[in-house]
Amino acid sequence: MKKFVSVLLVMVLALSLSVLPVSAESKGVIKLGGLAPLTGNYAEYGKGFQIGWQMAIDEINAAGGANGYMLEIDVKDTQGDTVVSSTMATAFAEDDEIMAILGDFTSGACKANASIVDRYGIVQLSPTASAPDYAAMSPFCFSIMGRQDGEAPYLATYVLKKYLGVEKVAVIRVDSDWGLACFENFKAQADVEGLEVTEEKYKSDETDFSSIITKVKLSEPDVLVVMDQGAAVSAIFNAADAADWDVKHVALGPGTSEQVVSQLMTPDNIIVTSPFFFDPENEELTKWKEEFTSKAGFEPTVHPACAYDTMYLIKTAIENIGDGEVTRDAIRAGLQELEMQGVTGRIKFEPAGDIQRDYMICGVENGEWVVLKGFDYVNE
Amino acid sequence: MEYFLNQLVNGLCQGAIYALMAIGYSVIVGVVGMVTFAYGEIMMIGAFGAYYVFQFIGINLPVALLAAFASSFLLGIIVYKLCYERFFNAPRHISLLCTIGFSMLIKNLVQIVFGPETKPVLNIIDNRTFTIPLGSAISIDLKLLQIVVMVLVVVLAVTLTLFFNRTKSGIALRAVSQNKDAAYLMGINVKRTAMLGNCIGCGFGGVAGILLAIYYYSISTTTWGGFSMKAFSASVLGGLVDLRMSALGGLCIGIVENLGITISSATFRDVFAFGFLIIMLVLRPQGFASKKGSRV
Repeated sequence: MKKFVSVLLVMVLALSLSVLPVSAESKGVIKLGGLAPLTGNYAEYGKGFQIGWQMAIDEINAAGGANGYMLEIDVKDTQGDTVVSSTMATAFAEDDEIMAILGDFTSGACKANASIVDRYGIVQLSPTASAPDYAAMSPFCFSIMGRQDGEAPYLATYVLKKYLGVEKVAVIRVDSDWGLACFENFKAQADVEGLEVTEEKYKSDETDFSSIITKVKLSEPDVLVVMDQGAAVSAIFNAADAADWDVKHVALGPGTSEQVVSQLMTPDNIIVTSPFFFDPENEELTKWKEEFTSKAGFEPTVHPACAYDTMYLIKTAIENIGDGEVTRDAIRAGLQELEMQGVTGRIKFEPAGDIQRDYMICGVENGEWVVLKGFDYVNE
Repeated sequence: MEYFLNQLVNGLCQGAIYALMAIGYSVIVGVVGMVTFAYGEIMMIGAFGAYYVFQFIGINLPVALLAAFASSFLLGIIVYKLCYERFFNAPRHISLLCTIGFSMLIKNLVQIVFGPETKPVLNIIDNRTFTIPLGSAISIDLKLLQIVVMVLVVVLAVTLTLFFNRTKSGIALRAVSQNKDAAYLMGINVKRTAMLGNCIGCGFGGVAGILLAIYYYSISTTTWGGFSMKAFSASVLGGLVDLRMSALGGLCIGIVENLGITISSATFRDVFAFGFLIIMLVLRPQGFASKKGSRV
């Protein structure tokens, strides 16, 4: 029996050694820290991050790594909570083996971590933080989602004023850092455009929107704008439909989310701004989307695509270091200088550490997202 | 005026679901004698049970309600065995902590098994609105969904009351709720009866879970903790173990929340709900229940 167990152990050991990802040519492993809300209100985005990162790592390592280094990520669950996120960020920052931090999901969590990453001199590259003041908080803070002072004014001018031609706008928004940044930037531009805006806000864990809809309906707006991401967007529009309210639905935040479409009672009534679109004509993108769906069990939004791109940004930054030593600061310098075409488009960091995105107006036709056309200001 | 009446209808409907949640909660507390913090996840399991009925056999509301009741009823057995049965003679905080741990376990397991994404629950009930005139200038809008939810809650509450008053098992449950030692001396199997009571309370929570999902057109794995707190608050308002008063507590919380939003912002929903609870408890520490304490 002992002999059998010994043979079995040797076989298991041999097998495990044979499947280790480090190849003979590998210079070693570069460890990264991942911050994502794997549980809690933003769990679907956190899971998307995790799968997006791992997809990119699998591809990079299979192709020989980043300048010969294999990549590895340790993803910690931040529960969508800024305090937990900061604790995890500190743990990563204090671990000398971790060379960069990817994440977190919310602007609030990323801003809370800014002073930590600045103090320890480690990059925090967020796929989704879009608060205008986040990246400028430290040279080590980066984000690739685009900034709310770009997207929210775009919504006011191009979607509402020019495309829909409305005058009275009702905004229902999440009461968070992100929601406030969206609304303030939107309102400033809406005032310039002469739009009449009413605002209602709710807590991020809100589920019942019937009374908010009854209240907002009273002001008889031409359009209902929701500023949030995920389930609340569809819940609000469904509550409007349930109240028999025939009004155009516009959302800022969810992008071209398939989940939002699947949750809407009248999906064809929604218009969104988005920096990114899963164009069915684009074979590469469609293949990426199918692979993600098979791994995640749900269709991707722009968020996991951004997460995927952040891993390739790290790879490119490491490659830019060349023969030099891969340090935390070298990765920061590499990121600042690089220019890359990702799944979500061209990425080049501004001096502050975030990027400017170009936005599209997208709508739903027969249950499928489409880029809306038929206006002549698309390149303004 | 019409606006306030429509908000009142919203509050009544939401309050009706809170009432059903509170009834289930009060049955558990009344019969088992301990509070639970796993009630939100119990409601979630009921909602998921019904959701998969919709997925696999189509829109069949009676079968879905039965599935919701059955799934939460079965989970109630596990909760009872793990969190209560072994700790009847232990300090109360032990079973309470067990329910907190159990709720976290279930919540995370559900996210792993069913996925963390919110699932749509659409078109279960026709989206029709009836405008009911209340005089020459005033009318209220009543949705078919709201009518179905309120009628279902009333039917379930009446059924439970009949069960407690007209059946042998129901009377045994009331006996256990009032005095476990006396019930034992009268030949009632207290442990089995307490488990049945816990399971019935959980089953009602499950039905409330799917009603919430239908009312909000979706199921998520993350929102149930808040509902659990509302059920607990409504139950506390009703004196914890008085079913009718707990139902009244749920209705009041629903109405206060919605009228609060009417005059301020939805951000203050919980401020109104829990502010109302605190004021009521300061004025009447026993809640709506009579001082003698009317039990399950």
